[in-house]
Amino acid sequence: MRVLIVDDEHLARAVLREYLTTHADVEIVGECANGFEAVKAIAELDPELVFLDIQMPKLDGFEVVELAGSKPHYIFATAYDQFALRAFEVHAIDYLLKPFSRARLGEALAQARLRNARPAQIEAVVKEAAARHTPIERILIRDGARVHVVPTASVDYIEAQDDYVAVCADGRQYLKHGSLAELEAQLDPAIFVRIHRSHIVNLSAIARIEPVSKDSHCAVLKSGVKLPISRSGYQRIRELLA
Amino acid sequence: MGRMFWAERSAALYLAAWVMLGLMLAVLLGAATNAGIVASLLFALPLMLVYASVCGYSSYYLCRAYPLATRSLRPVLVVFFVTAASAALLWCAAALAWAALWRWLAPSMGGVLLSPPVAAAMFGVGVLLYGMTACAHYLALEFERARRLETRELELKLLAQDAELRMLRTQIDPHFLFNSLNSISALTSIDADAARDMTLQLAGFFRHTLGLEAHRKVALSDEVELTRRFLAIEQVRFGPRLTFACEIADDAARCLLPPMILQPLVENAVKHGIGQLPQGGVVRVQAVRAGSQLKLRVENDVDPDGGPAGKGGGVGLANVRQRLNTAYGIDASVHATRDGTHFRVDLILPADMGE
Repeated sequence: MRVLIVDDEHLARAVLREYLTTHADVEIVGECANGFEAVKAIAELDPELVFLDIQMPKLDGFEVVELAGSKPHYIFATAYDQFALRAFEVHAIDYLLKPFSRARLGEALAQARLRNARPAQIEAVVKEAAARHTPIERILIRDGARVHVVPTASVDYIEAQDDYVAVCADGRQYLKHGSLAELEAQLDPAIFVRIHRSHIVNLSAIARIEPVSKDSHCAVLKSGVKLPISRSGYQRIRELLA
Repeated sequence: MGRMFWAERSAALYLAAWVMLGLMLAVLLGAATNAGIVASLLFALPLMLVYASVCGYSSYYLCRAYPLATRSLRPVLVVFFVTAASAALLWCAAALAWAALWRWLAPSMGGVLLSPPVAAAMFGVGVLLYGMTACAHYLALEFERARRLETRELELKLLAQDAELRMLRTQIDPHFLFNSLNSISALTSIDADAARDMTLQLAGFFRHTLGLEAHRKVALSDEVELTRRFLAIEQVRFGPRLTFACEIADDAARCLLPPMILQPLVENAVKHGIGQLPQGGVVRVQAVRAGSQLKLRVENDVDPDGGPAGKGGGVGLANVRQRLNTAYGIDASVHATRDGTHFRVDLILPADMGE
């Protein structure tokens, strides 16, 4: 079994490495000390099993799963995170509580070998974890093996494109998998407003609002981009600007 | 009976007041009835002292039975007026009997003769004196109540401080403790001596925090020692990612401050600062004494892309702020700033050398 170890503490990785050497069928394909490396390694090395610490710099364990997808089997490890523990219990996901014994790791491995990975449960936990940070201050976007961290303050507008959303920030455009409604729910409603079925705009990026015809408007951004405003969008934006 | 009433000093004061009233009555009676000054004194003083004890006891019980805070004013006034009138009436009767006794015992002395107007005046004085005694009692009761409240408040404040400290202690516990134990678990097979060192450091740290009491101030050098222990343990976990720089001036090190002021700030610096930086960073503690002020600074590197200051770390900082406010009021200040890659907390508190 191809295994990836992700933990920012070298001693924590050492324990796992030591315990795993006694399992002949386990091959450690890599070790990562932070979330960015982990997302990259999961994309490039395609491990079957990932030991994933939850508290890490830059990206926490849940954000790694959100970006890397739930294809590998994950075994989460945490020292003490009440939120994570509750979420794992609720969704019946196996986890390791640090410090853990050789025997406990053996059990977790046996579970993983049975391949009863349940992506739906893991995704539910990841969603809950994301909801905890609402409103979000940064948007995480995976681009192949790379991860972009886009601060929401720098976002001008977001456009829906089929199964993706295009996040436009600082003159660049990033494609992120997901729906506009999902993202809208995570953004601060005092700053971001849905002005149209397929557009969310940052209020501070708007230069002016212009009438287009008798009862339709468009928003002109400071960057010069013009975005259509629907009738209900016009109501919302007027309330916010009032 | 309350301690207040029986306390020797209050009893003596009470008697002294009545003796003076007795002297006054004697002078007035002497003037009003042309009795000699000796006769007036012999007549008035015992009479006054008897009335003193009657008023004292009865109004004390009445004041207890009708506390002003809970009873409405009107029934209280009625009750006191009726009792005051009866007491004064009895007193006047006693005075008449007493005067008659004196005339019978020593007719030659030309004792006090109470004419009806004088007796009426005495009745009025009796009622007033009774009222004044009652007021004095009420004042004493109120005073006692206020003092009790004050003590209670002080006790509560101490309890709250202790509770805060306990809370702070449990706040450091979980993450730090379990992660440290995990490090020890790893070290046992890699480097047994290092594992043993770490258990000793951990034990030392917890023993130190358990010995702290909220209301007993500690020297800054002790507080720095505690944070050193804490950082020594964290350095095992974080390895070269965590660097610690400490610049404490000698005269600042001797200053006293409430316990666990520096520790939560350093803990935050590690958790929210260094812990979020893959390449690590520096935690810097500085302390100087400037005249009557002790200036402390805890500074750490932060992730420039991270969330705004105080993300999650607000509890520790708020707690430090509140505890300094309790201890020093407006003489202490806490100031947190963030500029790009640095997070800084500045504390200013009075330089307390403990005399």
